[in-house]
Amino acid sequence: MLIIYLLLSMLSGVTLVIARIINSNLAARIGTYQGTLVNYIVGLFFSLLFFLINKEAVDLSYVHVSSIPFWAYLGGLGGVIIIVASNYLTPKISAFYLTLLLFVGQLFVGIIIDYLLLQEFSTGKLIGGILVALGLTYNLFLDKKTTLKTE
Amino acid sequence: MIYVITLLIGAINSIMILLNGTLSASYGNLSSSIIIHTVGLIGIIFVLLITKTRFKLDRGIPLYLYSAGFIGIGTVLLTNVSYANLGVSLHLALSLLGQTVSSLIIDHFGLLGMKTAKFNPKKSVGLLLIVFGILVMTVYK
Repeated sequence: MLIIYLLLSMLSGVTLVIARIINSNLAARIGTYQGTLVNYIVGLFFSLLFFLINKEAVDLSYVHVSSIPFWAYLGGLGGVIIIVASNYLTPKISAFYLTLLLFVGQLFVGIIIDYLLLQEFSTGKLIGGILVALGLTYNLFLDKKTTLKTE
Repeated sequence: MIYVITLLIGAINSIMILLNGTLSASYGNLSSSIIIHTVGLIGIIFVLLITKTRFKLDRGIPLYLYSAGFIGIGTVLLTNVSYANLGVSLHLALSLLGQTVSSLIIDHFGLLGMKTAKFNPKKSVGLLLIVFGILVMTVYK
């Protein structure tokens, strides 16, 4: 059973990459903002559909709406910035570098957030992140060399 | 410059995970997904209005190009299942591995309309460092 969860976990990464590329292909056809709009309409439709099928228990009386900070609702706006930007970036950069640069940016800000909010500091994440960034820089450097040679 | 923007987008992603995580802790995954998409939809409609972007649909566009929003929900559901059974760090490491391998394959063969970027064997050194980094993150907290 464990192996299935390991595979599903990897698959979630694969779907991330594929969705990003399909979105940017659509954006190339109908425009970046328009593509983002379509993404949200389709996403909302299927969120509602899965919500209805799954019948996730929502006992709103249990949810302390007043205890949820206002800023928590703004995540969707961050998503808009990310999708608009990645529709712009995806055709300009290889899928591999896009994946890793996004990851490095996410990881280091994640480390800062954990430290500021939870006073938690993960040495493993920092060392691992530095290794990923080093490997990435090395490969970027190789790319620079090959493009210089071919030019 | 493109690389710097990409790094910044990753940073915004981290902030977004914090916001959405706070929301789903209270509302549950699917309900919060509806809230997140609604807020996003309002946001992008606002952008379209400000920039006075006209919307026109081209009938010649293949249906699968509209599927990204659907695949995105798939990511959310897969993530939830793996989170619950594997824990956060193992899931993140494996998801990153899935992203890395699939983007290398897509680049190498130029799939989904991406430019072909053949894998250079010299890059194995960098790739090895990356995989080692992922391993360190998973094993050593």
